[in-house]
Amino acid sequence: MSGERGGDDGSEPARGSVDKSAEEGPSDSGSGGPAVGESGGSGPGAAESGGGGDPSTKLHPYSVPYRSLSRSFSTGSLFFFVGVFTSPGGGGDLLTLGAMVVVGIVLGIAYEIAYYQRFRYELTSDTFDVASGVVSRRDREVPLRRVQNVDVQQNVLQRALGLAAVNVETAGGGETEVVLHYVGEAEAERLQRLLRTGAREDAGQDGVESTEPGREPDEEELLFAIQPNELAILSVFTIDPGASLLATIALSFASGFDPTALVPLAPFEGGLPGSGLIALAWAALLFVLVAWIVSAVLTFSRYYGFRLMRAGEELRYERGLLQRYSGTIPLDKVQTLTVEESIPFRWIGYGSLAVETAGYAPGQSGSGGAESAVPIAERERVRALARSIEPFGDPGLESSPKRARERYVVRYGAVVAAVVAAGYAVDAATGALGDWYVLAVLALAVPVAAHLKWANRGFAVGERYFFARTGFWKRTTKVVPHYRIQSVVDTRNVFQRRRRLASVTADTASSAAFFGRAATAYDIDARRATELREDLNDRLQERLRERKRHRLAGGEPPADAGADGERGEGRAGDATGA
Amino acid sequence: MERLSPRIRPVWLTAAIVQAAVSGGLLVGGAVGLTRATDLADAVGLAESTVVQGAIALAVVLAVVRLALAWLRYSVWRFELREDALYIERGVLTRVKTVVPFVRVQHVDSQRGPVERAVGLATVVVYTAGSRSADVAIPGLRPDRAEDLREELRRLAIESEGEDAV
Repeated sequence: MSGERGGDDGSEPARGSVDKSAEEGPSDSGSGGPAVGESGGSGPGAAESGGGGDPSTKLHPYSVPYRSLSRSFSTGSLFFFVGVFTSPGGGGDLLTLGAMVVVGIVLGIAYEIAYYQRFRYELTSDTFDVASGVVSRRDREVPLRRVQNVDVQQNVLQRALGLAAVNVETAGGGETEVVLHYVGEAEAERLQRLLRTGAREDAGQDGVESTEPGREPDEEELLFAIQPNELAILSVFTIDPGASLLATIALSFASGFDPTALVPLAPFEGGLPGSGLIALAWAALLFVLVAWIVSAVLTFSRYYGFRLMRAGEELRYERGLLQRYSGTIPLDKVQTLTVEESIPFRWIGYGSLAVETAGYAPGQSGSGGAESAVPIAERERVRALARSIEPFGDPGLESSPKRARERYVVRYGAVVAAVVAAGYAVDAATGALGDWYVLAVLALAVPVAAHLKWANRGFAVGERYFFARTGFWKRTTKVVPHYRIQSVVDTRNVFQRRRRLASVTADTASSAAFFGRAATAYDIDARRATELREDLNDRLQERLRERKRHRLAGGEPPADAGADGERGEGRAGDATGA
Repeated sequence: MERLSPRIRPVWLTAAIVQAAVSGGLLVGGAVGLTRATDLADAVGLAESTVVQGAIALAVVLAVVRLALAWLRYSVWRFELREDALYIERGVLTRVKTVVPFVRVQHVDSQRGPVERAVGLATVVVYTAGSRSADVAIPGLRPDRAEDLREELRRLAIESEGEDAV
């Protein structure tokens, strides 16, 4: 039984791994380095073959020069400053400084050699063990069935060297559980496959050996490959959050750090009325244009060659032009599916699909929390792919009562009133704005905006899933399996209570919901909300009982295999039900 | 539905007074400082004293609101151990009702801060693996009740036997 509370690892259900010693600090001190000889590597090239007599494996030997490069840069510059501050007279002569920098670089390289020598990992039948640390050492055991995602990243230089970074994510904790910097490409692929499938082998079988040549991995089925036109649309219409920063930097360089260089100031100097505004608008336009181009380039390179594959019970994706990413999404760990239809994409019939797990996604800050299973595809395609992951039916969404729309009218009305008032205040204080009352035209948009907001919101409780949709600009439909619900929260603020409305959130362990995007049915009737709250809890309990019955009665193999088999069954049942 | 110990009320009121004093001090002090240092008041066309008085009035109003909320918070707070879930109702302005199924309880803490120890109260915190309401605190419990509750929640969590926490 995979019940963890009763199991041997019940003491720490949330954490994905067990640390045997204190965490290694981000120690840059490199002081433990020189103790290790450089000739000690008994089988540095053994990464691919699995490592001879010692079952544990080292990182790829090229990781030493690669890591040293960046490490020696930081330690070198650190010692450069140490040299500047310690040398008599403050400035420091060139020789001392050079010597300090060399010392820093040598220490950095020594640290990296020691790191390489100390770092060992081993894939056993049910755990992934990592021993690492130069100054303070750490032995970490990650139970394989706690593994959420396994991601592989390669930048251009790493690709040239045949290196890859492997990140192993588990639920809980605010950081990646295991980071392997760096292993060989083939080894990365092997780990990515085994960290998932290894857990599914029979308990007696050794996960490592079972994948020796002869046993083919699960057949990969291509689910989705991005088409050039889709990539073009995606690049043009996606706003990359990092783009504005890069655009600022690009513009700063282009203008030679003189903000006036790119703005036509001739009319401004003429002193024409309003020319200041024109110059400002020109600068803004230029900025937006550059940011747009940067954003398109970033998006293009991020999703270039996107492919989504399915291998057994997991999804695998690959993407990236310069920096290659590939990752696995275990289907039995899916917390929430998110279908997003943002405004330009929705108009031309496209949408995207994200699969949320409790792990942390690669490049998460960039992609905004969830893993894009499909960055862009035709709407029907997105739905079909989502259904192949979680076979939900076609829910008729319940919309909020009409009085919710009144609430939005009031809300947007208040915003417009505030804007007009601000316009008046600015005009009164400076006299810059002549016709401040023109802003009142915005009031015309209020009913439209309120209606659109209302019309795009909805929720439904299906047989096995809870659906919640919201957003006009970025219409997001969340699909939450009932048995993934962690808690149900019903909130009613003063304004909602006045109109007998409430919002009900089905909280899951999805890491994407940290960024404030949980599945919420907004502004539904208060009585319905109470009902929904109880209903969701009841359905969760019922689904859990059902799963338990399956597990006990089915005589399925123990541990996770049981959960998987049951899951498959549930899926078949759902498909027919839907 | 179980209510909190009434002893939590003075605790919350005291906390509200302290908070009101701090924020009121900042507000009035800021207003005095601003009017002294700059000619902001003149720019808006008000006398210096009016601005300061306004700040004081605002601080008093905020303090009264804070106190009222602290007073009312107690009367709203309720919790209940249901058949399969912990149910909590709280919040004066925004009423929040949370259902935490026992299956989802990761662990349970009972805590006693210095103020709580002084007045003889304790807090029970229930943790889930959720991302939004990952920890739910029940304050204002008598220490023995907190112990009981913690034990009971622990028992219920074990009995409910979740298969996988996430």
